[in-house]
Amino acid sequence: MNKILNRKIKPMEKYLMLILVVYIGIVSMTSKNFLTMNTLIDLLKSSSGTLILAAGVLVVLISGGIDVSFTAVAVVAAYCSIRISMMLGIDNLFFIMLVSIILGGIMGAINAIIIQTLKISTFITTLGTSSIFYGFMTTFVGTESISVADKPSALLAFGSARVFNIPTFFILAVLILILTWFILYKTMLGRTIFAIGNSEESASRVGINVFKTKLFVYTYMGVLSGIMGVVYFSEIDLINPISLVGTELMIIAAVVIGGIRLTGGDGTILGAILGVSIIQIFKSTLVFLGLSTSWNDLFIGLILIISVSIISYGERKSNKEKLIFTK
Amino acid sequence: MLRHSKKILVLLSIMMVLAVTTACGSKDGAKGSDENVLQIALVAKHEGIPWFEDMKKGVEEFSKDNEGKVKAWQLAPEGGDPAKQVQIVEDLIAQNVDAIVVVPNDPDAMRPVLERAKEKGIVVISHEAAGLVDVVDYDVEAFDNDSFGVLMFDELAKSMGGKGKFAAMVGGLTMETHMAWYYAGMNHLRENYPEMVAVSQQPYEDKNDDKIARDKAIEIINAHPDIEGFVGTSVSAGSNMASVLKERNYNGIKVVSLGIPSVSGPYLEDGFMAHAQTWRPADAGYASVNLAYKMLNKEDIKDGIDLGRPGYESITIKDKIVYGNAPLELKKGTFEPGNYPF
Repeated sequence: MNKILNRKIKPMEKYLMLILVVYIGIVSMTSKNFLTMNTLIDLLKSSSGTLILAAGVLVVLISGGIDVSFTAVAVVAAYCSIRISMMLGIDNLFFIMLVSIILGGIMGAINAIIIQTLKISTFITTLGTSSIFYGFMTTFVGTESISVADKPSALLAFGSARVFNIPTFFILAVLILILTWFILYKTMLGRTIFAIGNSEESASRVGINVFKTKLFVYTYMGVLSGIMGVVYFSEIDLINPISLVGTELMIIAAVVIGGIRLTGGDGTILGAILGVSIIQIFKSTLVFLGLSTSWNDLFIGLILIISVSIISYGERKSNKEKLIFTK
Repeated sequence: MLRHSKKILVLLSIMMVLAVTTACGSKDGAKGSDENVLQIALVAKHEGIPWFEDMKKGVEEFSKDNEGKVKAWQLAPEGGDPAKQVQIVEDLIAQNVDAIVVVPNDPDAMRPVLERAKEKGIVVISHEAAGLVDVVDYDVEAFDNDSFGVLMFDELAKSMGGKGKFAAMVGGLTMETHMAWYYAGMNHLRENYPEMVAVSQQPYEDKNDDKIARDKAIEIINAHPDIEGFVGTSVSAGSNMASVLKERNYNGIKVVSLGIPSVSGPYLEDGFMAHAQTWRPADAGYASVNLAYKMLNKEDIKDGIDLGRPGYESITIKDKIVYGNAPLELKKGTFEPGNYPF
């Protein structure tokens, strides 16, 4: 594992893997129907959307910001794109995807421009813009749901498509995770994202264009939201634009569980994937365990607090060793 | 900076003036009628969605049936915003209409403004808001919850041949109507179909969310491959289970659910849903407005009176709640495929 990652596995990641293995063991012993290929494939498919968003959230958190508008961006971009394609009579997945990506990118760029030019905190900005984007859609486009009979058939086909029995959604999510890894660790741009996350001031003094970096970070988040929106509406039969919004904090929580600091400058793809896996597995094994949905919140809350405590404890310990007393 | 703030001020004042003028403009609908025509407004939850478009048809039909005596019309907030809905009711009070029928998005937010309407002597009727009976004159319900639940679970038992394992899903364990249907239905099964077994002590929840309903449906099929039936008290529950079954082309689970024709229709046609049930919004709208009209005419409101629509021919009244007996059962062929009224 260390060899594949080309780095040491962080203690946090080890701890998450341990939890996953133990938990999967418990569920498999309780229900013999859990550990099957079908269950795994269904799990991969239903987690794909969250994984795509988590990749974007990871990049935003590393840059030292926080974005709570991405679910609104996903719904608005994808719903508008689908309505446009239905109006024009273009029943093509690539067209719908492209329009949704462009709309998502524009909304992301708007976030970046407001954050940089007006110097408002990223949380407040995106909290505001999420209402603006969503309000724009409800006022000018409407929120009429589109039933399975009227829905573009390209989306229905995309929803059930599989390559070698692997859902296309999941392949798309993996490609996005690889791309995100490449940008973060193999490009100059990735280095600047880490740099502004650690200290914007220092980064700008060594000549990094902070605005350009932020523009990329939020546009990337918007683009991924646009893609996720189309995936989301392809997966479920009824296109209902009043769904999804409100789940953003759970996705941020998933990434934070994976050991990504809210203060920026630190985080790994593996951590984000593990965080999402834990939340998804908790969510989708309650039926196997015969527990009610309320257990879900309890589990996730506990894991969130425990992981954040471990991160903060580790940080304090290492700071003490290195004689750093500022944080 | 100063120049900028001036610009913003000017812009703001223009917007405010515009807002005032457009708001005044939209009130025209109610004005200019003569004194003897009663004015009844129905305030629905959401503008432009099929359910309330159908309700609007019922209201307009009532207005037409009683032309010269009543003017009835329907209003609803864009996007289903509860605050805008309260605003609409406030405007109606200012216009001094004779009666207001309301289908509230948020009953508690609606309460104070309805109290004010009552103080001004306006007749106030609610629909789907039994919690407001202490404020309104009457609340109208299409059926009593127990019989609706019994109907649903009885259809499940019949489609499964009276025995076997099944899973149940509700919108949420805290949703009163869903739980009332669930408990009434489960009691009915216990007494009449003892061989019907639920796989879980408590029903599953979908929070009225399609993604959750779909994920849960998949899990239920994977965790309990031996179930033969599924009953859902939310539209999402039944339609998503049917959708998963359709994707897997599996016919072994009979799906019975709350459903509306435009969402559940295709699955009923394909045979992946056995039965869906709902109530007709047009009839509920017609009956509610008719009740307000009868009150304005000082007619005696008592058990057995006719509100002029199928299912509402002989209403029962309990604690200021008016019950019809108007469940609408949807089966294959109830409506022409692709031509659903709501």
